[in-house]
Amino acid sequence: MAQHSAKGARFQAVTANRLTDGEVVYFTDAGHWSLSFSEAAIADGAEAAEAVLARAMPADFEAHVLDPYLFEVLQDAQTGFQPASVRETIRAKGPTIRLDLGKQAIAS
Amino acid sequence: MQSNRQLIKDGAMAENLWSYVEDDAALSDAASIISLQRLEDDADTLRSRNAPLGVILRAGEKQGEDVRRLAPFLDMIQLVAIEFPVYRNGRGFSSARILREELKFDGEVRAMGEVLFDQWQPMARCGINAFEVDASISLDQFNQALGEFSQAYQPASDGRRGILWQRHGK
Amino acid sequence: MYRYDEFDHQLVAERVEQFRGQVARRVAGEITEDAFKPLRLMNGVYLQLHAYMLRVAIPYGTLSSKQMRMLAHLARKYDRGYGHFTTRQNIQYNWPALDRIPDLLQELASVEMHAIQTSGNCIRNVTSDQYAGAIADEVEDPRIISEIIRQWSTFHPEFSYLPRKFKIAVTGHKNDRAAIKLHDIGIVIVKNAAGEIGYEVHVGGGQGRTPFIAKKMSDFVPAAQLLAYLEAVMRVYNMLGRRDNSYKARIKILVHETGEEEMRRLVDAEFAKIEASQMLTVPQEEIDRIAAYFAPPVLQELPATSASLDSARASDSAFDHWVTTNVVSHVKSGYGIVNISLKPIGGIPGDASDAQMDVIADLAEAYAQDEVRVTHEQNLVLPHVKLDDLKTVYDTLLAHGLATPNLGMISDTIACPGLDYCNLANARSIPLAQEISNRFADLDRQYDIGELKIKISGCINACGHHHVGHIGILGVDKKGTEFYQISLGGSADENASLGDITGRAFTEDDIVDAIENLVASYVDLRHNGERFIDTYRRVGMQPFKERLYAE
Repeated sequence: MAQHSAKGARFQAVTANRLTDGEVVYFTDAGHWSLSFSEAAIADGAEAAEAVLARAMPADFEAHVLDPYLFEVLQDAQTGFQPASVRETIRAKGPTIRLDLGKQAIAS
Repeated sequence: MQSNRQLIKDGAMAENLWSYVEDDAALSDAASIISLQRLEDDADTLRSRNAPLGVILRAGEKQGEDVRRLAPFLDMIQLVAIEFPVYRNGRGFSSARILREELKFDGEVRAMGEVLFDQWQPMARCGINAFEVDASISLDQFNQALGEFSQAYQPASDGRRGILWQRHGK
Repeated sequence: MYRYDEFDHQLVAERVEQFRGQVARRVAGEITEDAFKPLRLMNGVYLQLHAYMLRVAIPYGTLSSKQMRMLAHLARKYDRGYGHFTTRQNIQYNWPALDRIPDLLQELASVEMHAIQTSGNCIRNVTSDQYAGAIADEVEDPRIISEIIRQWSTFHPEFSYLPRKFKIAVTGHKNDRAAIKLHDIGIVIVKNAAGEIGYEVHVGGGQGRTPFIAKKMSDFVPAAQLLAYLEAVMRVYNMLGRRDNSYKARIKILVHETGEEEMRRLVDAEFAKIEASQMLTVPQEEIDRIAAYFAPPVLQELPATSASLDSARASDSAFDHWVTTNVVSHVKSGYGIVNISLKPIGGIPGDASDAQMDVIADLAEAYAQDEVRVTHEQNLVLPHVKLDDLKTVYDTLLAHGLATPNLGMISDTIACPGLDYCNLANARSIPLAQEISNRFADLDRQYDIGELKIKISGCINACGHHHVGHIGILGVDKKGTEFYQISLGGSADENASLGDITGRAFTEDDIVDAIENLVASYVDLRHNGERFIDTYRRVGMQPFKERLYAE
């Protein structure tokens, strides 16, 4: 599995892929999985991050999602929180060479 | 065998009469499975032991135990346990086939370790006739898994003629 | 081409039902992902960045129009209207839902196709020469033995849990278009002095983290003994291949660590035992039965030249260029082999829309004896096209963006899906291919440069085959930024070679200029008639490197 969070990451979120169709999903504060990064629960600090990950992985998590993991997000005054890595940016939006596919293509 | 497991042998539920004995433990008259190393070291003594004897063949990681090392001892062994430490480690499939087809062993060949239900059929085709399966598995489920493919392209240890041959009555 | 009999149909149908049951159990939460994953992999289902990915097998790259139409239909019904043709002659769909894949597989089975063993640690799709059965000087159509190997390797009970994946390729021609020396087993069909068919078997080639050229294990395995020989190689690998480190688990590592001589001795010993049992000697009737499916098509007796073709070429220079670059001589007089480039300028290498697939299916049915081939370079082929029909075929291809006259040219780039799609990637590869294509869009310039095979991989797994690119590009991740490392002098053909790394990697901003720099060096240094690869082999790395890194 490729990198998730760099060491010393401050803000992190939890992501996974939905079991039925493989869609990228994000764990929310409300405790469900959302298709939108904008609804992801943002954890501040390592302890909070581990806690969110644990909440995202109850005994039956495999019935809904595959392989949840933490990834780093960065805070930006303008845009709020954004994924830190190219990989997670692409997962949040869709393939960069087909802007008509993936989450980026869904009308907001 | 672990308590949450059951033994299916030759397509039927069976009682497990075998236990594994560590290298440094003395052997009783019970049906005992020992390591290959012990078998090689103590073969002469073991020959005069009038009790069922089995051996476990370790799959290893970097290297596994060579099944052909069993050749001089097969006449005194009633069970070969082939280890599958993780389901991904498929060395045992070759060991089983060599044991049956080249070494002509006709005792019990048992799969031990991590075995996925979709592996039972290829294992059976390779000559494994005893399986330690989870206690929740019914005999019907087990036999159904074995029968999921009615034909096979290639021959193995189960005497089936492969499709490439069957097509021409060979 | 091969047609399933009831045995073949039954096995594929049973596999679909088995997988349907496995998916149902997984979705119901009755089996864990750990237990399910090997099953879904052996059915060609990956989890990628955005979705599942399904890899459908196209045995030795051969398709009928009916099958191509089904691939188009599946793209529409289960995916997002397109598919990607891969460097192993397969097709990939990037967006299928897991719970619909069993239905997809059932539809595939209705046209004699499947996704069996296109992933997992088992024997994968047997690949071959895209010009099989159409090119002159072929020793034997390699698809005959490829089909036999395919059947023997399908659901092989002993070799379904190998240390790692296993790839076999076959060529029936001295010009190796199947890259056999870069495969775990590579087979060259040969004839001995008595004129008998046999197989030269190479073992231990491969790319990825530690690339190797295969070693020749046998000069001549008689035809009747090939399966016994392959079984021997597989058995040695299954027993001795490493299982402690997945980066050292391919047979190329076993050959390297064991040594060629000892490896040959081990294989010969197993071979002797298996051959003695006679269990794997395929009946001649079966060989004949399968061979009959690959009999040359019944073609017309035509003159070597076509007046209508010549006149069309004289009046349409774009068409003329296309014939020069994309049409290859056919063994039969009056026919040509048409290469369909899936590398439109600035486009995504290897992708085809459902509409394009349907068009190609129609062309195959009407003009190419109902056959399409997939190449190793993410392009397609219409074998057996009359020279008289080339203009009509071209016009249709042109209307659908399929007539780019760039076969083997710099814009005919191979790129893996890369970080835009793939879970394993460190960098994006497709945008780089697009930028290179746009930078070198000018056709006159491309023709002047001549044959130059650029291959781009987004990670060390080398699915873009960068090790064997004349120019190879490897995407790497340096502290979260995408960098690109260049290698020169790789080649996948019968003179197989692995590329040499030039030096420090380039940023996304600098890499295309770096390619320009290399091309300029080549143009300066070349002798008459030399391709890029020829010049590199003559002058070596030094002159290129000096200019590349000059301040």
